[in-house]
Amino acid sequence: MGRQRGLLLLILALVIASIVVIVKVPTRLGLDLQGGSQLTIQVKPTEEIKKITERELEAVQKVIEGRINGLGVSEPVIQTAGEDQVLVQLPGVDNPLQAERVLGGTAQLDFRSENPTQIAFLRVRQEELQELQAKQPALEKAGDQAAIAANQAAIAAKEKQVEDAIKQVYEKTGLDGRYLKDARTELQGNVWAVGISFDQKGADLFAALTKKAAQTNTRLGIFLDDKLLSSPSVDPGQFSQTGITGGNAVITGNFTAESARELELQLRGGSLPVPIQIVENRTVGATLGQDSIRSSIIAGIGGLTLVLVFMIVYYRLPGVIAAIALVIYALLTFAAFNLLGVTLTLPGIAGFILSIGMAVDANVLIFERTREEIKAGKTLYRSVESGFFRAFSSILDSNVTTLIACAALFWLGAGLVRGFALTLALGVVISMFTAITCSRTLMLYVLSIQSLRKPELFCPNIPNKPSAEATS
Amino acid sequence: MKLNVIRQRGLWWAISSALILAGLAAMAILWTQIQAPLRPSLDFVGGTRLQFELDCTKPNNCDQPIQTAAVRDVLDTQGLAGSTIQVLGQEQHAVTIRTTTLDVDQRSKLQSALESKIGTFDVKKTQIDTVGPTIGRQLFSSGLLSLIVSFAGIALYLTIRYQFDYAVFAIVALLHDVLITIGFFAILGLINGTEVDSLFIVALLTIVGFSVNDTVVIYDRVRETISLSPGRHINDIVDDAVNQTLTRSINTTLTVLLTLTSLFLFGGETLKNFALALIIGFTMGAYSSIFIASTLLALWRERTGNAIAPVSATPTEATVSKDSLG
Repeated sequence: MGRQRGLLLLILALVIASIVVIVKVPTRLGLDLQGGSQLTIQVKPTEEIKKITERELEAVQKVIEGRINGLGVSEPVIQTAGEDQVLVQLPGVDNPLQAERVLGGTAQLDFRSENPTQIAFLRVRQEELQELQAKQPALEKAGDQAAIAANQAAIAAKEKQVEDAIKQVYEKTGLDGRYLKDARTELQGNVWAVGISFDQKGADLFAALTKKAAQTNTRLGIFLDDKLLSSPSVDPGQFSQTGITGGNAVITGNFTAESARELELQLRGGSLPVPIQIVENRTVGATLGQDSIRSSIIAGIGGLTLVLVFMIVYYRLPGVIAAIALVIYALLTFAAFNLLGVTLTLPGIAGFILSIGMAVDANVLIFERTREEIKAGKTLYRSVESGFFRAFSSILDSNVTTLIACAALFWLGAGLVRGFALTLALGVVISMFTAITCSRTLMLYVLSIQSLRKPELFCPNIPNKPSAEATS
Repeated sequence: MKLNVIRQRGLWWAISSALILAGLAAMAILWTQIQAPLRPSLDFVGGTRLQFELDCTKPNNCDQPIQTAAVRDVLDTQGLAGSTIQVLGQEQHAVTIRTTTLDVDQRSKLQSALESKIGTFDVKKTQIDTVGPTIGRQLFSSGLLSLIVSFAGIALYLTIRYQFDYAVFAIVALLHDVLITIGFFAILGLINGTEVDSLFIVALLTIVGFSVNDTVVIYDRVRETISLSPGRHINDIVDDAVNQTLTRSINTTLTVLLTLTSLFLFGGETLKNFALALIIGFTMGAYSSIFIASTLLALWRERTGNAIAPVSATPTEATVSKDSLG
């Protein structure tokens, strides 16, 4: 009995823990439920780049990240999918027109030269920005909300002016991403740097550009999609005669390993002549998502209630135990979703509701077996024991086959399909625990209560009632 | 109640054949109409589906229901004459439009043309699905591949756990369930215009994974009975096994059908056909396990001369009842 009590306590602890998890850890909702836009972007091979590899895809992903960040969407998700696709998720975006416009098209990387006459203008703007930013802490201390908001708006406007001024300062030189062959992170001594190399034509243009920069003591501007990535200077003493020749150069600065890698990827992404195209757009308005959540909650509760009623009416006392086990199942599974960070999509919820119906299968198998044993004249205790024991191989087989189908769905399926496979599989595994261990423990506990140890509570119409209570 | 599955097997097979034939006929007719056995949704063939709903918080915006003709006019002027239009909702304030694949500029042009003609739409109730044709094919082929892989996986597992002939007939029963479900949706596609989307493939895979359960339970009992009383004829054993497991076959399917019915009734538009496919597939799964897989196994054993299993000398596990689990 000690082991049973231990298991009971474990089950109780799990139930409490899962309630805590459900309350404390927020459920991650898919875009089809919270509303938002999911775009699949296809990277297309070209004459020069015949096959898209991981290296290219990574660089393209960086370019897309840069463009998305410019849109000001909160918490976008950008990940690679398959060999040549990038998946972009934009929560809360109802109409992704703007995103679709900026995402299409090839990345534009170019190297520009500084125009000295415009620099003074930029400096003034930058100083104005710094002044505004310096005022902010004092305002925040004073706590005047209107003044804070006004100042923030002024800062935003000024930032825009600075950005425009930067564009004025740098002039296009004709040296663009097409000529850049490669970019890589290097460790120069113990300083991180980014090495770049150009092709023949690019090398000539770059030499001319750096020569001019060295002579006038100005900087270069490296732009990706019209945004300044880096503005390195050229050592006048070393390069004012010839510029940097040979087509290889190293950008140094206060790089960390990460920031160097970031610039490398941006440069490489910008140098790729691969066009990208949006091939899939799934957008769901926020209200529609809420409607889906509401209807699936109704469907879930409806399904659960129907199954509970059926089990209790048909299987009597064991049915009550199965019902308790099923509620435990629902709690544990939902907590597991939150804990493992499973993103719930509409098909995922369907999988979960479906698994509620499947979770009692094991109980049905066990109880039917138990009834047979009781009818065959065995004692109640032995009937219950052998019901659990002899139903096990069927339960195992049926769950394994469901898991096989889930695995096939998961490995080969796309987005939505995966959510369904994952929730169903998780449900099957957890149901093995609740329907077998939980209900067995509860059943044995019930059997230890004298007044409940009546075969007719387990099985109606027992033929020529055997002396079931005699031994146990 | 005792079922004589073996004696009446001609009847069971006739019912199944009729259902399969009806489905195949529907697929054939559909093929002559649209060159496909089922009506594919844009998930598989590509295209754009837009769902708009009028913003009723704006004054006078929702005074009139949306007229299909008005929408059709706008589409015609945009050069999208072949599109499908469906007005939705009790008050007819929502519309779905399915067109060829639109890019972002075509789509925004269409949307503003519609808004100027019909009224302002609520962005929070807008749904956009655009699938490029290549993605559609990709979805279809990966779905088909996962179906084949799961069939193979289940066949392999059953061969390891049971014997090869058990596995073969379990797969035959599964094909039967899948074929009838597909046939049912072909019929729906014919009379109702019902389309199948990627969730349909998910449903088929789930049917494959779940429907084999009942078959496994019956086979498990057949195996157990053979080892308990080796001298009996396979027909008797199968009849007994089916009857002994009948309640559980029905009840396990019933509990799942209860949740599916709830999903079908309350789960919303997206999940309706998904739930329906599963209801058909699971019902057929129970039917084929009880009537098809069992009788085929018996027939096969009888024809190959294995109707009576050799008597083995070792006692079986069934005599042991003290063993526990967990």
